[in-house]
Order: sequence, then structure tokens, then C-alpha cells
Amino acid sequence: MDNSNYHSEIDFAIRIGGEGGEGVISAGELFAQVAARTAYHVFTYITYPAEIKGGFSMIQIRIRDGKIYSMGSSVDYLIAFNQQAYDTTIKDLKSGGMLIYDPDEVKLEDNIKAECYPIKLTKLVTDATGSKLGKNVVALGALGHLFGVDFNVLEQLIKDRYGSKGGDVIKNNLNALKAGYSSGEKNNWKPKFKLVADAQAKEHYMLISGNEAVALGAIAAGCRFVAGYPITPATPIFETLTDLMPKVGGRAIQLEDEIASLSACIGASFAGEKAITPPSGPGLQLMGEQLNLASMLELPLVIVDVQRGGPSTGLPTKTEQSDLKFAIYGTSGEAPRVILAPSSVEDCFYQTIRAFNIAERLQMPVLILTDQSIGYRKATVRIPDLSKLTEVDGSKLTDEILIPSPEKIEIARRIEMDPEKLNGYKRFLDTPDGVSPITTPGLAGGQYLSGGLEHDETGKASYLPDIHLKMMSKRFKKLETLSNALEKNPPEYEGSEEAKIGVIGWGSTEGAIREARLLAEQRGILFRHLHPKVLSPLPERQVRHFLAGLKQVIMVEENFTGQFAHFIKAKFGVKPIEIHKSEGVPITPEEIFNGIEKVSRIVDETTIARL
Amino acid sequence: MKRQLQDYKSVIEPVWCPGCGDYGVLTSLQRALLNLEIAPENIVSVSGIGCSGRLSHFLNTYSLHGTHGRAVPTALGVKAAHPELTVFAVGGDGDGLGIGGGHIAHAARKNVGITYLLIDNQIYGLTKGQTSPTSPLGVKTKTSPFGVFEDTLAAIPIFLAYDVSFIARANGVDSKSLTQILMEAISHKGMSIVYILSPCRTFPLLDSKGLKAILQPLPEDHPRGDKMVAMEKAYSDKPIYTGVFYQVEKPTLEDRLQNVIKQVCEKENGGGKFSLDKVLKSFA
Repeated sequence: MDNSNYHSEIDFAIRIGGEGGEGVISAGELFAQVAARTAYHVFTYITYPAEIKGGFSMIQIRIRDGKIYSMGSSVDYLIAFNQQAYDTTIKDLKSGGMLIYDPDEVKLEDNIKAECYPIKLTKLVTDATGSKLGKNVVALGALGHLFGVDFNVLEQLIKDRYGSKGGDVIKNNLNALKAGYSSGEKNNWKPKFKLVADAQAKEHYMLISGNEAVALGAIAAGCRFVAGYPITPATPIFETLTDLMPKVGGRAIQLEDEIASLSACIGASFAGEKAITPPSGPGLQLMGEQLNLASMLELPLVIVDVQRGGPSTGLPTKTEQSDLKFAIYGTSGEAPRVILAPSSVEDCFYQTIRAFNIAERLQMPVLILTDQSIGYRKATVRIPDLSKLTEVDGSKLTDEILIPSPEKIEIARRIEMDPEKLNGYKRFLDTPDGVSPITTPGLAGGQYLSGGLEHDETGKASYLPDIHLKMMSKRFKKLETLSNALEKNPPEYEGSEEAKIGVIGWGSTEGAIREARLLAEQRGILFRHLHPKVLSPLPERQVRHFLAGLKQVIMVEENFTGQFAHFIKAKFGVKPIEIHKSEGVPITPEEIFNGIEKVSRIVDETTIARL
Repeated sequence: MKRQLQDYKSVIEPVWCPGCGDYGVLTSLQRALLNLEIAPENIVSVSGIGCSGRLSHFLNTYSLHGTHGRAVPTALGVKAAHPELTVFAVGGDGDGLGIGGGHIAHAARKNVGITYLLIDNQIYGLTKGQTSPTSPLGVKTKTSPFGVFEDTLAAIPIFLAYDVSFIARANGVDSKSLTQILMEAISHKGMSIVYILSPCRTFPLLDSKGLKAILQPLPEDHPRGDKMVAMEKAYSDKPIYTGVFYQVEKPTLEDRLQNVIKQVCEKENGGGKFSLDKVLKSFA
């Protein structure tokens, strides 16, 4: 990561807002596709209502001539389909930004500080097609013109998108597109920026969502079994995997609920397959009993929880980081499991591979915590170079397998029992690293009993005090094994060693905190940023090293109670200042910066002098 | 070398109460497997919680003693992932008809090729005598000190309504006919349920004498493919019929999953599996 000035000439955000069902998101995604075909990076943020139709819906597309870490703090172009979209989002439009709006739907406030471009979306679409449907395509046409996109490129997009729907649908959409495009021409809209296609882009980049990245990571990791139950906002992972599995010879099954889904994954893993199930919070909660069982049976499997606003049904379509405590602790008794939290769309791919590697090597369930904002976010991601991918031999626990990256992707498998040494085989043999070689059904002489009752090394149920203690220690030893391996990885923090302020975050807020840091550095405020990808177990020595010398720790989380902060406080005895956002929408770099700036006034008086 | 009954027994001695019907079920199952010459290493036994849930401990198979009520979806996962294995689910009336009752319908819809031994003793025996979904109306148990006031659940009609593709009822005490039925169930392609009446000695709501008096084999000419006839027989309580009520052939989950792989790869990739590279490029 370059710590140089993050300011860039080409860096702007477009937001389209309207009513759910009007197609604002699909228009935005089509436009994002156009942008992704250029030499620039693209990053989208979507929010939509939980209603089938109606309610406020929007998509934001940020375009930049380099890596993008967050959705940004404000927008440069706002397209408002209706009054609600205008009222909800006008505050986010930069002073001097461009407002495109339907004058028949939107009443502007006085003294608005924006360039205002009216476009009668409803009238144009009705004139062009005789129907009110297709305002979004008119807007796409107008946007295309504004950004100097060739009409042919847009036309092809529409054909690709609606091709299967037949003649009239295509015809109406093309008419709507034309109406929007030529409206820009007629009204002499001055294009501010030209998006020129770059042939290289398609070769090296894909525009994918965090949910798709998880699905692709699972396939790359060799997962060939998915069992799930639809739940917003995790459903796209399940949908993508149901499509991909048969193509790679794998199996995808929809079950009657999340309990059955995880049960089926346990069965598949017992039979030797790498298995995944993608719930959101309420589904993860149902899985509690089987998560416990998987930990007790010491079976590898991966659960990816795309967090949404809670509690209960909560905010199904909004984002929150509020399942962490359940993920770490939620089950009866004490059952070890590993928690990963990818920090970006691209990271979703690599952390999913890492999750499988850890699950297989440590024979335990691994939970990946993403959230709605990262799951639905689309970003340009470099297509992974498969020449960097190797399958590692299953004989020993290596350190490298724990962090896949674009430079090196290793795929691990569980450590199997040598078929020549089955005499006296103990499935749950206590070993120095806690991992016991496993056998797979079909191997003669490898039969064993595996159960949720406490058991001895052979698997036989036992309630003896010393056996319970020994087996608890054995299972938890695996977390220590992982924690020790993590210590050898490069530290997961960035920023100045001189800094007196340390910021800790996790998951999808990484980009916003990173941008806040770069913003702060420009203003002379230094802070260090720790963003662990493995949340539990933590590499404790690394965290202590991060904390050493800090005057103040700030923790940033998108939840109400500060779940990771509780964890960090309990483990390291620090007293952080906590920044929580619990509104269902992602925290912005500016919000984080504002918090840090306040803290910096307390921590370092010389900083104030410089401001 | 010819296998012996011993080859299907694990080193763990059964812990059921003396006289428990489950001993007979265990032996009949082992005998059925021996007769069918299925190698122990190719068998996966998944069991739930309760007295009958312990059955997996005593089999020399790949045995998974899971949670309460989840044996069926767990076994489904094993079979879906590795269709070449012979897979059982085992559980009692509380496990299968109470806490886990919702799973049977969906396993039946998928017609997954597992054999489900639902062993009914009409009581929660392991927890020492509470009401189960099949406890008779009016009977006093520890949680119905004034008599059970819920109707008794009729299992076979439910399985018929779910269209489980093989449905049988057996007397757990009659080892010879149970072995026979289990052999048929295991050989059946698709989901089979063997609903076994197994008396609990400690909380005796069923007893072997009483069972003998009330049970009667289905007529020799019982038409297995006729669901309505099966339904009528299933609702009969005097006598209570034993034997195979219903058997039909339907595509199995395993076959359907395999077919999807075959069709998709043929249609979109000339028959071969997609390479990882091709998968990734499809997102570019």
C-alpha cells in the first residue's frame, strides 16, 4: 500500500437515488460496468429497502484513477428520481456538484449550491415507449452522454442485459436509452469527464461484489459442496455457488432451514468434502447447535455470515457489524472456532481461501464475517493469477498456508491418517499442535466414532474429569497453534511508528479508516491503524506491539455496543475511545476523521497548534 | 475372507437397560448389513439424541453421533457428497417426530438415498420418562402427571403424505422380520424409513406381549405402489400392521445432482468440467 498523497485528479462519485423497483440499482450497475471497462477503478455502494416495491433505493459509484478504499464521504453527481431521493441525499452532494433531477417529481429548495440539470425522466420515457417503465434506462442514457460514452457501448449493454427478454423489451429499452442520450445533447449538457474504454481492463480486471468474491474464493479453495437457505443479504453467495458448483463438478443443495444446511455441511465434511454455508445473522443464530457439534467433531467447514442490521429481523437490507460476539462465543459450553473478517471485495476472495485452509488444517469450523455493505459492494478486482496457486501437501501444518495473497495462493487439505498405520487408530489423538490425523469413509480400518458427547481419544464417550479437561485442552490448543502461526505473519497494521493514537477496526470499515488516516496525515495528525483479518484468535504479541507507546486507542465499529472493543478491552486491558455507527449505513472516512481529530486535541496539544 | 457379524460390532459394549428393544434393532441391523455384504468402511451411521441415538456407538462403521433431531439432514449431506456410501440415520420418536420432525418432509422431497431407522418406544427414556409425540392419550408420565392430553401422532400416514419412497413398520422384538425389512430398505434406491416399535423396559408403555397381540403383518398381496390402500392400512389401530406399506421408484437426490453436473458441463463446456480459469474469466 502506498502511503503517498491519496488525493487524485480523477476521483468522483455518482449517486442515483429513486424508489425501489424503479431500477436505479440496475441502471447504476450497468453504468459501473461501463466505468470498469476503462483504465479506472470502480467501487459501488448499494442500499435498498426491504420492501418488494417502494421505499428509498440508491446506488453510488465511485470512479478513481487508482485503488479505491471506500465509497467516499460525499458525491459529485446526484441523480434524483423523486422527492424522497432528493431530500434524503442532497446533503451529501458536494458544494458545486451536479444535480440531475426530474423537475416533474422533485421540488428544489432555494439557494441550492449545485449545478442543476433538469431532465423529465417520466415524460421522456412515456413519450419514447408509451409506458412509465424505463426511467432508469433514460437516466443511463443521459449519464452515458454526460461522460462521453459511445452510444454503441450502451446499446450493447442493454442488449446483453435484456437480450433474453425478447423484442419489445429490447426495443423499448433502446428507445428509452436514446431518449436519455439525446436529451443530454439537446440541452447542451457539458460533459465533465470522458470515460474511454481500455482494452486492457477486461483482460486483467473483473467487476465483482464481495458476495461473488466469497463464492469464487470457495471454488478456488476446492470447496465442492454448498448447502444453504436463502437469507438477505447472503443470498447472492448461495445463488452464485448454486450456479458454479455443477460447472466444477460440485454439489449445491437448498435445505429447509439453516440448521439443516449446516447439518448437511457437517455430513459432507465427515465424508471428506470441503463444505460451505452462507447465512446472515438470524440464520447463524439457528446454526448454533450444529456449529457446536462441528467444533466437537473437529470437522473442517466454513460458514460465511453476511451481517445485516439486527436484532431479530432487524434491518435485513442494511449493514451492521453486530454478530461478532455471537460468532466468537455463541454456543452452549465452550467450543473453539476461528473468526475471519475480510476488509475489501478483493480480500473476500483471499480470506475465503484462507478460511478453508485454516478449517482444513485445524479441523474446526471457521466463520467469515462480512456484511451487507461489502457483500453488495462491487469493485474492480484484479483477476487472480492462477500460476500463483499451488496445492500444498497434507503432511504438516505450514505457516505460509495461512495468508493467501495475489502473490501466493496455497490450497491446503486436512491432514489424513496414513493408511498403513491404522492399527490402534485414535481419531482424536492428542498431539503437540492439537490436530489429529483424520480418516475418510471408504478407507478400510479407518472407521471411528465421532460424537457430540465428550469423548476420549478414540471417540468413546467419557465423562471422567481428567478426560474432559484433556480434550478441552486439546481442542483449544488448536487456537493457540493458529495464534502462534499468525505471530509469524507480517503485522496487520499501518501508519507511523511515531503516532500516539492507534485506531482499531475490523471488516468492511478498513477502507474508510485508511482514507481517514490519509486525510489526517494531510492535516498533520498521525495515527496507526490495526485491522486484523483474523479476529479470533488474535496474534496477541503483535497486538501488544501495536499498542505499545500509544497514548490513546480508538475503536471504530458499525454496531451499538462496541463488540470488538469488549473483546480487546478484556484481552489487553486498554480503555479505548469508541466510535460506533449503528444506523444501518457504512461509516464514512470523514466521520472517522472527525472523531480522530477530536481525540487528537486531547492527546497531543502540539497537533492543535499545527491545525 | 467372509465377514462375520462381529465385523459390524464396535469395541464399545451397548449401555441400554437390560431387556431394551434397541438390542434387537442393533443385532437385526448388523445382520442385514452382513447379509447384504456391505463393507463396514463404506457405511456411515448418523444418529440423534436419546436411547436409540446411542446405536451408532455400537456399530463398526464411520459413525457420527450428532445433535437432537438432526440425524436426517446430516446423513443427507453425507449421501449427497458421497453417493457410493451406504448411509443411515437413526433416532427415536422424540428425536425424529418431535424436535427433528420438520426435516423428514424435505429429505423425502429430495428422495435422498438414506435409510432412516425411527425407533419408537413412545417415551423419552434417556431423560427418564417424559411424554413423547407418540405417548398414548391419557397415559401418566413425568411431564403428564395427570395424563397425556395431546393426541398421539400417527407417523406412517405422515410419511405417506410426504411420499417417502419406501415406508415400513416393524416389530423391534421380531428380529427375523426386522432383518428382512431392513435388507429391503437398505437395498431400496431412494429414501427409506423403517418405523420400528421397540419396547422400553424401564418405562413400559409398549411391551413385547402386547405388541404381539396387536401387530399383524400386512396381507401378502398388499399393493406397495398404492398409496391410498397404504393410507387405509396405516390408520388401522386394530390390528397395527407391520411390513412394507409403500414403495415407489423416483429419481434420487444423488442422481439428480449428478445429472445437473453432467448436463451443465455438456451444454456449456463440451462435457468437461470448467477450469478455475474459465470460472474466473466468466466474471470479467
